[in-house]
Amino acid sequence: MDWVEKYRPQHLQDVVGNSGAVRQIYEWAQDWSRRKKPLILYGKPGTGKTSSAYALANDMNWEVVELNASDQRTKAALEKVAGSGSTTASLSGASRKLILLDEADNLHGQADRGGAKAIVEIIAAAQQPIILIANDYYSLTRELKAVTEPVQFRALQARSIVPRLRQICAAEGVACDPAALDDIANRAGGDMRAAVNMLYAAAIGKEHLAAGDVHTSAKDERSTIFELVGATFKGKRDADLLRMAVEVEDTPDAVEQWLEGNLDHMPDLASRAKGYACLARADEYIGRTYRRQYYTLWRYASAVMLLGVADAAGGHGVHGRIMPPSRWQKMGASKKQKAVRAGLSRKLSEMTHIPQDALREDFFTAITILVEQDPAKYVREFELDADELNLFIHDKARATKVVKEVAKEEKAKAKKAPAKGKDAGKGKKSRDDDPPADTGESRRDPPPGQATLF
Amino acid sequence: MQMDGNHTIWIEKYRPRRLDEMVGQKDIVVRLQSYVKTGNLPHLLFTGSAGIGKTTAAVALAREFFGDSWQMNFREMNASDERGIDVVRNQIKEFARTSPLAGATFKILFLDEADALTTDAQAALRRTMETYARTCRFILSCNYSSKIIDPIQSRCAIYRFRPLDREAVIEETRRIAAAEGLTVTEGALDAIVYVASGDMRKAINALQGAAILRADIDEKTIYEITATARPEEIDELLDLSIAGRFDEAEQALIELTRVRGIAPNELINQCYRALVQRDIDRTLKVRLIDALGETDFRLSEGASSDIQMEALLARFVLAAERHR
Repeated sequence: MDWVEKYRPQHLQDVVGNSGAVRQIYEWAQDWSRRKKPLILYGKPGTGKTSSAYALANDMNWEVVELNASDQRTKAALEKVAGSGSTTASLSGASRKLILLDEADNLHGQADRGGAKAIVEIIAAAQQPIILIANDYYSLTRELKAVTEPVQFRALQARSIVPRLRQICAAEGVACDPAALDDIANRAGGDMRAAVNMLYAAAIGKEHLAAGDVHTSAKDERSTIFELVGATFKGKRDADLLRMAVEVEDTPDAVEQWLEGNLDHMPDLASRAKGYACLARADEYIGRTYRRQYYTLWRYASAVMLLGVADAAGGHGVHGRIMPPSRWQKMGASKKQKAVRAGLSRKLSEMTHIPQDALREDFFTAITILVEQDPAKYVREFELDADELNLFIHDKARATKVVKEVAKEEKAKAKKAPAKGKDAGKGKKSRDDDPPADTGESRRDPPPGQATLF
Repeated sequence: MQMDGNHTIWIEKYRPRRLDEMVGQKDIVVRLQSYVKTGNLPHLLFTGSAGIGKTTAAVALAREFFGDSWQMNFREMNASDERGIDVVRNQIKEFARTSPLAGATFKILFLDEADALTTDAQAALRRTMETYARTCRFILSCNYSSKIIDPIQSRCAIYRFRPLDREAVIEETRRIAAAEGLTVTEGALDAIVYVASGDMRKAINALQGAAILRADIDEKTIYEITATARPEEIDELLDLSIAGRFDEAEQALIELTRVRGIAPNELINQCYRALVQRDIDRTLKVRLIDALGETDFRLSEGASSDIQMEALLARFVLAAERHR
């Protein structure tokens, strides 16, 4: 058995790092009732999501029913397995069944048509605790986010990975140099599973693990892209630069961004301009590569940008720190923005029976004007959340406030008319709409008449 | 299966059966042998360019793990044949979940060109790998590990195969030449190393091609059979262009393409290799490589190679002139 499985934590207290997340899971399970929202554990690979879920089930003596992307996840298939698991009691005497939906962000494939919707439906009908697992929170559908509670898992620190590796070595009877373990922990990039796999690959069959024994590659080669950028600005030999470019295994478009992000290390404006000219030319080759699926062109991109930037820098070197492309951080934000925009566009399109591209091109301005005039009305009408409203009014604070107020009103209304029974109330009773500041300033909007658009 | 010696393809005939027969990749071979010794194997990811031993290593590993029953417990699939999610959900899962045969503790699935799998298929694969880890280990191979999704990389021990060096190519060429009763001159060995540029398959194919013509193999035969220009000829072509002697450069080009029948793409490849190595001013070098890239792109778009190749020389001449 490989070590990742062998040394998977059995109890929540054995999970390394992410103590906040682990506590949140524990508390959720302690007083679990049908009214609680399912958890969605999200974060990078190897940070302990699946392990925590299994450890929890073990601690609670719950049985686990797992579904992942390797199973067909159409609506029917999901209902067959998770549907029954979530409504019928367990036979094996375990107190409950924990439904585990792994890779919840991977439901968009053709073959899983209807899967995302099925999950939401199963959540609504479930009688058993459910945990969803995802890598990318922002790619989840809005509907799914609305009925779940997020728990974030962060990348692990190298210093918290090391003790775990040491434990494993001790259990396997392998003596190891601390330097080797540090090396592994640093190269793992916050991924415990990668670290354990590397340790396994390096240590298996050995009695002593020395510092130089770590031959397998880390999955992440960031450290060498730093070297590549440094060597380019320092003007190392052409053949060396191109060899390094192959070794870092970052695609030329990533290398391009790294170079661009560090062009301000150029000694003067003229050389910076020269550097940009080469990057722009390389960028053309990259575009052509993808457009035509002709990967031979990659080498011209690499050569033109690396040698070109090296030429422009004139061996000047990098003074100061080599920074990762700042665009990447911005991209994280704009990715979210894009997801919000796409979700909104889909929703409006369904409501108005107008195709999405027509909506975007011809109607968005008109809708924006209407929403600006009376945000609360359209928050109700379109069921907007704060992010979506913000797309129209570009004022995050105000958007949050308006949405909160509308939610409060709806709640008050629901209380006044409890006739609908518990089903209607259940969805609303979430933890996050705490009573907001209650100065009765909330604007009295016209009665919920039909807000017309066009 | 075994075909008559004359007709067998040598890359199969001489594919190393055991790990210790492999040339090159010594670090990796040692690690793989220790898996065999302990009877334990994690999932593996082999990355690197073509012809440098990824498939050979996987097959040899399986042979050593399973002995005679290796074919029962080893399956090779090429992901670029079927790239969709269904192949993971059906074929791969089917193989992975049935129990190993003949007393083996697990099976090995070798998935070649795994970077050709769609992202959806890779996502499905990652859990299959974990779920059936008891009965099946995966060896994935790919050219670029950056095309493999992170969660899978996280589940594998990653081995980066490097292009084979000169010594490795020569060693293997000599071994095969001896077994086939060929004599190979030193010049021919150099030529094979040049033609192969780190790819053992190319080296062996060149040797087998040459052996059809004659048993005494010299460099001329190698360049001829592989339709490759000699490095000196490429250097001359570049020298003439950079010196501004367009007419002579044009003659050299015509000799190579029309008389010797060397494909324009091959010429471009060779010029690229020569230019990268060449000791000239960087600004000029970037311009020349750029001209090469532009020509390569235009050819790939279907432009006429005669005109584009001559225009390439003209660009070389102009770039050099402007630079002086």
